[in-house]
Amino acid sequence: MTPQIGASAQQAPHPVVVDQVFRALSDPTRRHVLERLTARPASVSELAAPYAMALPSFVEHLKVLETSGLVRSHKTGRVRTYELATDQLKLAEDWLGRQRNLWERRLDQFDAYVMTLKEEESK
Amino acid sequence: MTLPAITINPELDLVLERKLDVPVELVWRAWTTPEHLRNWFAPKPWAISALDLDLRPGGAINFTMRSPEGQEFANTQCYLEVKPLERLVMTDTLLGGYRPSPNPFFTAILDLASDGNGTHYRAVAIHGNDASRKQHEEMGFHEGWGTVVSQMVEYIKAGRLQP
Repeated sequence: MTPQIGASAQQAPHPVVVDQVFRALSDPTRRHVLERLTARPASVSELAAPYAMALPSFVEHLKVLETSGLVRSHKTGRVRTYELATDQLKLAEDWLGRQRNLWERRLDQFDAYVMTLKEEESK
Repeated sequence: MTLPAITINPELDLVLERKLDVPVELVWRAWTTPEHLRNWFAPKPWAISALDLDLRPGGAINFTMRSPEGQEFANTQCYLEVKPLERLVMTDTLLGGYRPSPNPFFTAILDLASDGNGTHYRAVAIHGNDASRKQHEEMGFHEGWGTVVSQMVEYIKAGRLQP
């Protein structure tokens, strides 16, 4: 029985979801959009305003963000508004947190082991 | 003919330079005539749904880009320099009539030179800070401007510009 592993597997999201989130976060433009959306929801036009000539590429970035679940949008009339979907951002944070725990534990164990070796040597 | 010398700051500017196998007269006409410009100026499947040009320094360039889903984005820029067959400078840091824009981002310098039966073509996007330059590049400057140039050449070669 390995209840601990069973429990953490239950918490861990599907790998595809994690992939999508990190792929979305790997691009500086998309991170910039997320930063702007932390202030308040914004329409596509507002988000895209400065980028006239590269607009189609920009809208593709928004699609990637929405597919990953990091933002969601709704349409009112002809205006589509985007807002942060914080659950998914938390998912990335949790993933990093789990890795950090794992490594901290490993490093602690390593540390302890080295200390033991040192003590043995000095005897 | 060669292109005029221009000082490029790689921290702030983006450059797209091409040799096109269509004559400079047609490239100029494609860029400066609304009924032609609207046919190639948006990378497909995007489209230009409205366009009007006031081709003179201080004149406004208004165009609306429509996404494949039918969403429309209105843009306004201002011509700074109009030198037939040689140079077109426009900016979104100003609106028509030299009115400062609330959302300044970049200025575009388009230089043309006759090159045999072809055209030496250079588009330079100049920005006020390296963050803007980086953003523009990441948003797809080379891809976007490259695509529309190819579309323009295709449009010219299809003979749709001939008088």
